[in-house]
Amino acid sequence: MDSRVSALPTRERHNGLRRDDLPRTIRNSVIVALAYYLGAELAFLIGTLSDRIFAPFWPPNVVLFCALLVTSPRRWWIFILAAFPAHIAAEARIGMPTGQLLVAFATNCSVAVLNAFAVQRILVEPPWFGSIRKATAYVFITAFVSPALCSFGGAFVQILGGGSIENYGLYWARWYASNALGSLTLGPIAMILLEGVKTSPFGLRHLEAALVALLLIVACIFAFEDMPTIASGYLPALLYLPLPIIVWATARFGAKGASGTVFVVSLVLIWRTLKGPSLFDIGNAETNVFAMQLFLIALSTPILLLGAAIDETRHAEILTRAREQRISFAAASSRVGLWQYEIASGTFWATEYCRTLFGLPPDVPLDLDRLLSRVHPSDFLTASGALKSAITRPMTMEIEFRVGRNGEEDRWISARAQPVIGDDGKTTAMTGAFADATLRKTAETEADMQRQEIAHLMRVSMLGELSGGLAHELTQPLTAILSNAQAGKILLAKGNKNLAEIGDIFDDIITEDDRAGEVIHRLRGLLKKGEVKYEAVDMNELITSTLRLLHSELIDRRISVDSDPAGDLVQVRGDPVQLQQILLNLFMNAMDAMDGVAPARRTISVKTATTDEGGIVVRIADCGTGLPPSQEQSVFQPFFTTKKRGLGLGLSICASIVKLHGGTLSLQNNVSEGATAIFRLPPPMG
Amino acid sequence: MGEAGFTTFLVDDDPAVLRSITRLLKAAGYKTKSYSSPQKFLSSHDPSIPGCAIIDLVMSEIDGLNLQQALIDAGSERPIIFLTGQADISSSVKAMKAGAVDFLTKPVKRDALFSALTHAAEKDAVSRQKRKESKSIGDLLATLTHREREVLEHVIAGRLNKQIAASLGTVEKTVKVHRGRMMAKLGVRCVADLVRLADKVGIAPVH
Repeated sequence: MDSRVSALPTRERHNGLRRDDLPRTIRNSVIVALAYYLGAELAFLIGTLSDRIFAPFWPPNVVLFCALLVTSPRRWWIFILAAFPAHIAAEARIGMPTGQLLVAFATNCSVAVLNAFAVQRILVEPPWFGSIRKATAYVFITAFVSPALCSFGGAFVQILGGGSIENYGLYWARWYASNALGSLTLGPIAMILLEGVKTSPFGLRHLEAALVALLLIVACIFAFEDMPTIASGYLPALLYLPLPIIVWATARFGAKGASGTVFVVSLVLIWRTLKGPSLFDIGNAETNVFAMQLFLIALSTPILLLGAAIDETRHAEILTRAREQRISFAAASSRVGLWQYEIASGTFWATEYCRTLFGLPPDVPLDLDRLLSRVHPSDFLTASGALKSAITRPMTMEIEFRVGRNGEEDRWISARAQPVIGDDGKTTAMTGAFADATLRKTAETEADMQRQEIAHLMRVSMLGELSGGLAHELTQPLTAILSNAQAGKILLAKGNKNLAEIGDIFDDIITEDDRAGEVIHRLRGLLKKGEVKYEAVDMNELITSTLRLLHSELIDRRISVDSDPAGDLVQVRGDPVQLQQILLNLFMNAMDAMDGVAPARRTISVKTATTDEGGIVVRIADCGTGLPPSQEQSVFQPFFTTKKRGLGLGLSICASIVKLHGGTLSLQNNVSEGATAIFRLPPPMG
Repeated sequence: MGEAGFTTFLVDDDPAVLRSITRLLKAAGYKTKSYSSPQKFLSSHDPSIPGCAIIDLVMSEIDGLNLQQALIDAGSERPIIFLTGQADISSSVKAMKAGAVDFLTKPVKRDALFSALTHAAEKDAVSRQKRKESKSIGDLLATLTHREREVLEHVIAGRLNKQIAASLGTVEKTVKVHRGRMMAKLGVRCVADLVRLADKVGIAPVH
């Protein structure tokens, strides 16, 4: 074999020889010629060492096949040409006549070419025994089809040498067995060596390989000894002795182990048979060899396939593990931990990142209960309930909960699970992911707080604009109270005994104090900065209350309000403060829009009605300037304003509040003049 | 506290405020008429009744300043006290320029209101007195002949009889007669009294 070639990395060598690298090809062809000759000599040596057997295989064919396999078909002729003198030299030495010699060479070449062509076409590239499909194809081509075909020609060699044509079938069988055995015993190990053996530092695996080889040799020596039992017609039980060792080697070392053990078994068996007495010493030399050949073919075929299957499985395992690692790494990089729960066995598996997510120490085993024990006490029942029910009643679920106990900083986890459906359509496992949702949650909370903050600021700023009118709303009752009290004091000072009048005074004081109190109550509602509270809201009542707040402002700006509330309006669910903010904003916009209109025509009309869906709609129409053309949508953009001193935030905040309430807000110009704000809210749930 | 015949006319469209201030004014002894809208006040207004109007500045139909203007346009010199929820400089300046007596911020203090009313009552009395006086002087002036009236305008300009005669193209003696008759008709003794009288009714001396 060419040691230089085999030292190169597989792919490079493979391609390298297919390139137009003529000098190297020529040099290799010389090596092939030499190897061919030596192979032939080895066969003759085996054949002549004893008179009992013929060479059980013909190594030159394997040499030629390997040379062709790693070469581009365009260069094959070089190797065939190089092998030819080697063939003549070897055969001439044993005095083979020219006719036989030529037929034998033609047969040998056709076996090698057929094999190399088919393997190159069908198996394409190494590893040649990497999968059961490739190994099966190899065995089928090189051990069955091509030797069977070529032996039709090879059988004539014997006939040319004086054999009877009646024995053609026997000659064919011998040729066939010899070629097939070569492909099964010498071919695989040669091909694996050609693929290049990765050298790793000496370790336990090498030791194991050496041990297996030694055991196999010893076992074979014992097993293949001639036993008297053969004569009795039973195969000796000892014959099976090498089998466990072969399977061991194959299981541990895959195709390498398989091809190695097949090679070793062949060598030992041949040597043992030569040394005799042989296990296969049952008839004449030809029959003995033929029996041994059939035994080796029958043994090596399944072993090679087994080795390939094991390599394939191991490779798939490596790929799976690599993929699993990649997924785990990708998941951890994106702050996701993966888990799976096998329903049948009740086992729970989770990636290491789950430990980080749940804040579990490294020495604690990862299981569902330990993970759940880290869930925040207030979320524990929800989280454990959802996860456990997802496992017992498999269904897709999604849940968010906090992790962190004893005052640690909370971490938000978003958990998902989905059933894994087995081949029989039943759920075999639940698989899922834990994702770190802390950043998103924090951002959401912050955005929510900011939105509330801005909404509050806008309310304060609106009330600031209304301060004159609002002050008037307060001074009216205060004036009445003060005047009543002063009148009462004067009356008492004068010794007035009309208690009924004094009573009236007190009644009025109480009424007016309530009136002032109500104003303050409304203001406090709008000014306070609190959590959003959802409750049943009567929109008509809210409109009335808002108009009362605006009362003085409307008078001051000479605006009359035409109110048309629907009688059967359903109560909607919402935050009264935020909803009033919307009304206040829409009313103020309507008021501002009418600044340039003659006082007599300044009218706001407000209507409520029930929608088809069972919700409510509020329409607030003014007779003002209307919206600039085609800007009915832009008004909801932040910082868009048509007012001289507007911030442009009012409507965008209103729109976001309406959206939070599941409603819609739109503005459109009226047919005649002014614009109408239409504000819809969905029906209350349930 | 209130003077006999002096009436306060209260105009406010907030019924509670209207009732309470009416109560206060009545308790203090003022004769009070209250109106819940500017229209009602205007339609039933009698300028001959002595008194003062107390008007809310911000009302829905006609605001206080417009009501003041409506009164002035109707030739009424009724003194006005404005009440307002917010002391807004521009409207207070407008009101005062148009002759308002005072501009009070709600909730109004009793003493401030009463002192404003006293002030208004004085102002009302003076203007009524003035109107009465100018009416009687006017009657006297109506008795003067054309020539006597001419002489009057020259005398209050401080001119001598001789100069007046030259201006009027007559003799000094005739001027003396007209002058004596004119002084007698107007019931004044000296030129100083004559000048004061002429000033009251706004007769200008000749240039």
